[in-house]
Amino acid sequence: MAVVAQLIINGLIAGSIYALVAAGFSLIFSTNKFMHFAHGSSVVIAGYLLFTFFSLWHIPFYLSCLLTVVLTGVLGVVLHRFVYLPLEKKNASTVVLLIASIGLLMLFQNLLQIIFSASVKTIGYVQVAQGVSLFGASITPLQIAIILLSFFLLILLYWFMKYTALGRNMRAIADNKELAEIIGIDHIKVASLSFFIGSALAGIAGILIGLEQNVYPTMGTMLIVKGFTGAVIGGIDFVPGSILGSYLLGLIENIGIWFIPSGYKDALSFALLFIFLLFRPQGLFGINKGVRK
Amino acid sequence: MNPYITNLLILIAIYIILAVSLNLALGYTGLLNLGHIAFFGIGAYASTLLTQAGVPFIASFIIAGAISSIFGFLLVYATKKLRGDYLALATLGFNFVIYSLMLNWKSLTRGAAGIPGIVKPSFFGFTIQSNISYLIFVSVICIFCIYLMYLIVRSPFGRLMQATRDDEFGLRVLGKNTSVIKYKVMIISSFFAGIAGSLFVHYITYVQPNYFTLTEIILVLTIVIVGGIASLKGTIIGTFVIVLVPELLRFLPLGSSVLGPARQIVYALILLGILLYRPRGLFGRADLQ
Repeated sequence: MAVVAQLIINGLIAGSIYALVAAGFSLIFSTNKFMHFAHGSSVVIAGYLLFTFFSLWHIPFYLSCLLTVVLTGVLGVVLHRFVYLPLEKKNASTVVLLIASIGLLMLFQNLLQIIFSASVKTIGYVQVAQGVSLFGASITPLQIAIILLSFFLLILLYWFMKYTALGRNMRAIADNKELAEIIGIDHIKVASLSFFIGSALAGIAGILIGLEQNVYPTMGTMLIVKGFTGAVIGGIDFVPGSILGSYLLGLIENIGIWFIPSGYKDALSFALLFIFLLFRPQGLFGINKGVRK
Repeated sequence: MNPYITNLLILIAIYIILAVSLNLALGYTGLLNLGHIAFFGIGAYASTLLTQAGVPFIASFIIAGAISSIFGFLLVYATKKLRGDYLALATLGFNFVIYSLMLNWKSLTRGAAGIPGIVKPSFFGFTIQSNISYLIFVSVICIFCIYLMYLIVRSPFGRLMQATRDDEFGLRVLGKNTSVIKYKVMIISSFFAGIAGSLFVHYITYVQPNYFTLTEIILVLTIVIVGGIASLKGTIIGTFVIVLVPELLRFLPLGSSVLGPARQIVYALILLGILLYRPRGLFGRADLQ
């Protein structure tokens, strides 16, 4: 029983992290209609920014976090303005944008490796704490904070998308870009804003992951593949769907190692990604039925 | 000949086979395959395991290509309904699945530790030991492969491939079964990737899963895009450019821990620069759709 509770809790922790990555990715996809794979770089760069500000420069922790989130958001806008937008103006296909984003992912991964070396960096704000017992399973205060903060942020995001004017504009663009432009919504502005918000979310994800698992240059690739898989399971162009899909992925991965050797954890999620792309590319909750065009 | 130059030329010959075969699928037929490195890896491991089991090199070499072909067929058959970036991502996912298997199926692949001591090619009682003779061997195979692929793209079938890329629906209206064309192309393309994998591991005599990651995908993709979609000449020149340009970094005072990442940065910058400023590459004859 305790083992099952532990696996479920581990699943929820992993799911919360994947959901934070997936929510930003999915938000950017819904307004831009291309896959921003370099979103994984935003997450890992956020981890390194926090490491630089807090651990190297000794800026107070919460100020470091704020700087990290804002700068990660700005990075997203810069990528949009200087890479994706020029490509879109040349009528590049979404595949070209996808390849460009994979190129950016590799670029940042190797830049980080040169600047910070390939070794693992510890941020060291939270001391390793004794886990508290919950249904016989052990969970650290930081892990509880990760789960709660993710829930809170994701509900906030849902509220923002549903009830604010900007959120409505984003959903309008996601639904029908031409129609949204006719009623006067500036799609480039909205796209830039969605890059800012999505990347800032990646920044928060990067901070939490950095505190929980430390940071190393290649983690961006793994995180975006997991976040992307979660998004595909739930429905890539539907933010709440991709969040649910990410929790599902976290749970499946962690409960799956009850049945198969733990080394196959990643293989299991890749297989899920592959199966969903083949048989249900719109995901479990996706609204867009035209994905197989 | 300088051993450094010999080494580069051997790698160039192997990458030419790999990149030209990717261009058959990606460029000529418009199949957005980002999983090409998986076939390279399957061929590499198949050839390693076969020769270790005592199968002669020539047979292992051909069977390695054939096994890659089978996977190529299975992949294109499974993804036949997908288009555009969904096809690109499913093939990328396939690459990740194969990579995880290489890493975790330890009884077969020995996992991350890899398999050392792979035999050098030998046939008719003659073993290729020196790098110079390996260069001659690999060049002959490379030229033969290019010639075969040249014949394929110049044949009526080659025109069908390009028509599939440009107007699949129109081709179907004319009564051509475009699915069968795609199956055949992927079988051919992954066969050449498989034998390139075999040539690669029998040269360096070692294989590990890390040779078949996203980094390698970016490398071949950059070669094809720099050379140009649907251009054999472009891919060949592109391979020389992409392999040789980062070698200039060796003349800079960089430590060995910086050299590897710096090379990847050069690849990524070339890829982004080409996509932004010259999307058709050097000799491209079509756009990536």
